[in-house]
Amino acid sequence: MQEIAIQPPEIMPSVFGPELPRQRAAHLPGIVSLKVKELFEDIPQAIYLLGDDLSVIRRATEEALTDVDMGMIKDQDSINILCSEHAFNILEGKAYAEMIKTIKDVVQERTGCQNIRLRFCAGGGMAEAREIIPYFQLDSYFDGKVRGTGPFDRGVPIETEIGTLYGLARVYDADWIIHAHNDDPREIYFHRLIDRALKPFTMSYARMETRSVYHFNFGNRSSNIVPRAIFESPFVQERFAFTCFLTTAPTGIIGVDADNDLHHLNRRLTVNTLKSYGKLMRLFAAIDECVAVLDSGRWPWYLHAGGLTSGNLFKAPTDFMDLSVGSIRKEKRGVKLNPAVKALVINYAWRELFVELPSIYPTIVAGSTLAQGLAKRIQKHAVVAENLEAAMELAQQISKTDKAIVFDGSYGSINLSPAMGQFLMEKAPEVGRKVEEELLPKWLKQRGFDPEQNS
Amino acid sequence: MKKVYIMSQVDEDKCIGDKICENVCPTGAIKVVKRKARVDESRCAACLKCLDMCNEGALRMVPRKQPLTMGVDPLDVDQDELQALCRRARFDPEDAICLCTLTTAKEVAAAILKGAKTPEEVTLMTGIRTSCGMWCMAPILRLLKARGLDIVPPKGYRWYDVDANLWDISEAVSKKYPEYCFEEDKKFYDEDMLDNLISMLT
Repeated sequence: MQEIAIQPPEIMPSVFGPELPRQRAAHLPGIVSLKVKELFEDIPQAIYLLGDDLSVIRRATEEALTDVDMGMIKDQDSINILCSEHAFNILEGKAYAEMIKTIKDVVQERTGCQNIRLRFCAGGGMAEAREIIPYFQLDSYFDGKVRGTGPFDRGVPIETEIGTLYGLARVYDADWIIHAHNDDPREIYFHRLIDRALKPFTMSYARMETRSVYHFNFGNRSSNIVPRAIFESPFVQERFAFTCFLTTAPTGIIGVDADNDLHHLNRRLTVNTLKSYGKLMRLFAAIDECVAVLDSGRWPWYLHAGGLTSGNLFKAPTDFMDLSVGSIRKEKRGVKLNPAVKALVINYAWRELFVELPSIYPTIVAGSTLAQGLAKRIQKHAVVAENLEAAMELAQQISKTDKAIVFDGSYGSINLSPAMGQFLMEKAPEVGRKVEEELLPKWLKQRGFDPEQNS
Repeated sequence: MKKVYIMSQVDEDKCIGDKICENVCPTGAIKVVKRKARVDESRCAACLKCLDMCNEGALRMVPRKQPLTMGVDPLDVDQDELQALCRRARFDPEDAICLCTLTTAKEVAAAILKGAKTPEEVTLMTGIRTSCGMWCMAPILRLLKARGLDIVPPKGYRWYDVDANLWDISEAVSKKYPEYCFEEDKKFYDEDMLDNLISMLT
């Protein structure tokens, strides 16, 4: 452990969030850092963590695209590079933006095509596009050929093996699409790491009805037929050129992967996720009591600590990588979340989709300015402390634990209290052994991989 | 029960009548008349979709003179009918089918039994689909169809009809993609519904 906490990624100002915090949790006395490699030595090394030198990402993207066939793209064609909001939250988003810019340059150089457009696919609202596109200077890089699109935009019917589903018209309004995404294992409790690489075809690139079908008309395992059916449809196959993914581990960005065959990429991604994130996910499940601190610039379920999203803690007790575990439908009724989280401190997070957490966990908001920026329904459930320090003290009193973990966007290390660091260090060997000997072979086998060749 | 204290208001100088707001409003509160958007105060649920989608910045939220109240008491309708409707739609009545507003299947079923015939009417009566609005359309359609109502999407793109679901997966698709555990998920749902039925009766 190191006594001075690492500097977390900066928060991008947003209309979805309150005023930026004056103080980050990492700067509080008593918050330290624990490197994820101190917990699990075998997590792959990162090629990029933070900073403005993005040359390594450009090189990795160029290299990944070397063997990708672009022969189907003619110089007079139109191309939509599809990007999604969440990846702009990974380590300040600069690596993802650089990967996208590099894809454009490489495609342009190899095909002569000039009509390369960027389609920014919003998670929720179009305000995401209005903020993020200029923030990363994507509009100028694409010569203004950038459009945002979201779940309420005009749809386009897609005939699939399971019936008509609706994609977003702006996603598919080109001769070719390039699927540019990331492998962050957020929401594993929904996708179960079954065809994770295909999921954007039922989310980012789809109308709200299609997203709803995925979440409500199927179980967690069977729902993955929805993106598969869309992707396999003649409508999508006629347009699909190739895919390019930013690949991650709890240490940071570990590379860029690309392929003409999305299924091949998906198989590599699946193995990497199980091996890179599996141990840390199960370590989160071993936490017996804690205060969770939200201190980063996205929705409350999607904030990273050691590269793992807060949702992975809130849903930690169940091993969702185990495909013998059934649907989470029962949990929707009464919304059962991890009881080990004894209190929640909000120092910063986007304000929507917030209703569940403060209605379940004792919640302390750090300061009245922040509280005023949150929705009324949140204020109703939360206690407002004078500032972050007071919020942390109050959380400790309420929770009666000195174990705190900070979701501030960090990869590579987890910012936490010394007691939490000590606890994780003590638990890690046992968790690591169990994953290596029992869980990883099972997870791999359930997904059709030979554990002997992939462990 | 949801109370709404604000509502959408149009700045006519900025409005270009592109109908985007009309197409995203979950209650059908906005209509474009003579190339200007008009908001029906009695139907605006303040979901903010129109504000978010308008490229011209022509909408803003203003306080309401009187709050709008949305909510249906499931006890107001025949309980056997309500249970039967939920069962036909394959929902447990207690299922939260909108995770933002936590509206339950039994509230939507009650709204339908009280006369709601469209997703817009269901929204106005229950408050469902007035927050993120991204997850709850399929359950509403399932409940409306289970009541035997004709589903006719409005002109434009406010919503589309979708049918795909676990129980209608063909044998051919089920055999082709065993990795999606269709039979296991079906069994899980059926056992879950049975468990809950038993718990309500005991």
